[in-house]
Amino acid sequence: MKKIAKAKLQDLWRHLSEEAALYLPAGSDGVVDFARWQEDLAVDLGELNVCVPPKKFFYPQTETVLKYEIGDDLQLVDFSGHAGERAILFGVRPCDVASFSMMDKVYLGDPADEAYRRRRENTCVIALGCQEPEETCFCLTFDIDPGKAPGADILATDTGEEVVLVAQSPKGEELLATLNGLLLEATSGDEIKVKDAQEQAKEGYVTHVSVRGLMEKLDGMFTDAYWNRLYRRCIACGTCTYLCPTCHCFDLQEYATGNCGERIRCWDTCMAADFTQMAGGHNPRPTQKERVRQRFMHKLNYFPRQHGGEYACVGCGRCVRKCPVNLDILEVIREVGGAADGQ
Amino acid sequence: MRAASEKMRQVAAEALAEQQVTAVLGWRKKDFWWQSPVAFVETAAAAEQLTFDPFSVYNPVKYLLEEDSARAKIGVFVKGCDSRAVNRLLQDKRLERERVLLFGLPCSGKADPAKIRAAFPAKKIQEVVFEGEELVVLLTDGEERAPASDFLLEKCLTCRHPNPVVYDQLLWEQVPVRAGVDERRFARVKKVGQKEPEERYAYWANQLGRCIRCFACRNVCPACNCRSCVFDQAEPRWLGKANDMADTLNYHIIRAFHVAGRCFECGECERICPSGIPLQEINRRLIMDIDKYFGPYEAGLDPGDSPPLGTYRGEDPAGFDES
Repeated sequence: MKKIAKAKLQDLWRHLSEEAALYLPAGSDGVVDFARWQEDLAVDLGELNVCVPPKKFFYPQTETVLKYEIGDDLQLVDFSGHAGERAILFGVRPCDVASFSMMDKVYLGDPADEAYRRRRENTCVIALGCQEPEETCFCLTFDIDPGKAPGADILATDTGEEVVLVAQSPKGEELLATLNGLLLEATSGDEIKVKDAQEQAKEGYVTHVSVRGLMEKLDGMFTDAYWNRLYRRCIACGTCTYLCPTCHCFDLQEYATGNCGERIRCWDTCMAADFTQMAGGHNPRPTQKERVRQRFMHKLNYFPRQHGGEYACVGCGRCVRKCPVNLDILEVIREVGGAADGQ
Repeated sequence: MRAASEKMRQVAAEALAEQQVTAVLGWRKKDFWWQSPVAFVETAAAAEQLTFDPFSVYNPVKYLLEEDSARAKIGVFVKGCDSRAVNRLLQDKRLERERVLLFGLPCSGKADPAKIRAAFPAKKIQEVVFEGEELVVLLTDGEERAPASDFLLEKCLTCRHPNPVVYDQLLWEQVPVRAGVDERRFARVKKVGQKEPEERYAYWANQLGRCIRCFACRNVCPACNCRSCVFDQAEPRWLGKANDMADTLNYHIIRAFHVAGRCFECGECERICPSGIPLQEINRRLIMDIDKYFGPYEAGLDPGDSPPLGTYRGEDPAGFDES
């Protein structure tokens, strides 16, 4: 367990940026997003939910899968094995860290997605424990501890004047070891401060929902009239899916010009009509009703059914904040309900 | 404000009970103080949920496009901006006037939750209401008051038509246009326009670099009412799905030109942009140019008028101006 004075964080970041490409939450035009560190970056560690979740570092919105050129023979460049840059993410919140292990279930399953796997391997995640939840935070619903982030390589905790750093993986230990000159040994007093901060983090939630029995209840709701009512407000934009840290559906597109071309993979959204549009003209999800149902069923029924009961939501609240028409997963959890004792 | 909600409930319940309409579109409260989404009310009893509060901002008019056109009459509550959306759809021949019963709501502006969060402890807020020109914030441990004008949405601070321009019934007295609206309307556009070209490009590259291509700006826009959109077309695909700057500019510029002379400045595109891109600056830039080259024109005021870019006149400027 190590620590550093907050006043020295800039030195820490400078050092980390020499180790690998360093990304931190930073404000630009009033919007906080992860950005590449440089001396004058407006780092903002106060924001709980950066606009675009850090899933983008492992699963970018757009990536080249392969390039080809047809001459005398076919020249093919396969990008799927490219390692990408070595990166460090500093200040990832526990809910977003939890989303990584959810994404791993999809992309590191069998067969593993090579590009995703290498990015995960090449990236060191430094989580920052939360201190004070926002009104739209409901990570506790999914048993995510806001002060801890077991999936991170290093956990950072703000103890007031200092930040305490705990390595949680060999990768994290290795990185901390390179920082020896900068860090101080944490004391047993610091350990108590961290524990206090973690306990404190669980206080102050105003949004309480329960998902007990929800997955089971949804088993029988595919044809329920509930969806007829729910979808009507949806304007079919991609805000909820693109800003959701666990949404992971993609599309493959060909960009062909003359005798060369590029295949790209990009985020796709089940809210759009063309998501399930077939070449022959048939669309198995013909209206917004089926699309809205799909999104919530995927998160709250299909995914947990396939992955040992784990819901595909981390309670970050981005969809609650950002949906233009206030149609969000909190509403669905509350309205569908579950076990009789659910709140 | 509470009296306003009461009045809404009463007229909606009457219209439904007397079968003048089969449904009424208004607003209702949801979980949080800042959420007043559109409500689809289909029975007189359900009219009880209707609310007109500082967050009843979302424009319900575009939902009329989704309604079965054969369906009988629908009642819609319209603020000034919403009423101009009705004219937009009428002029674009996407709505028949006889199909809607319009309840006009003169509106002094809606509140910006971000401004309220910055000034008051958000988690303690129970309810936010307007009382005259005051914003009243009811907290778990008390009540705070502040001038409403400090907490309005940017789009409301530049609104020239706070009173409905088309309606069947006006629910209460008209309200005055806010002071300073005309000065503020183009202030941001002029500021950006003063930048050198490289600097201006950098400004927009940074802003639009945050675009995630969710298409919320298009989907919320009443002027974007095409039955199918060129940007959704798969074969041929006019807009690449790869999120790169060339196609992001392609999308935003083409959309801006498509709504030029048709945008009635509701500002919803900018308000709901999840990435905080100041999209209204693009639309207002085109409005400024239209005013300059084709004479002053405001869209959505009269569905029978001739939109400047949909009409040819001999004296129209000949083409690409040297300026």
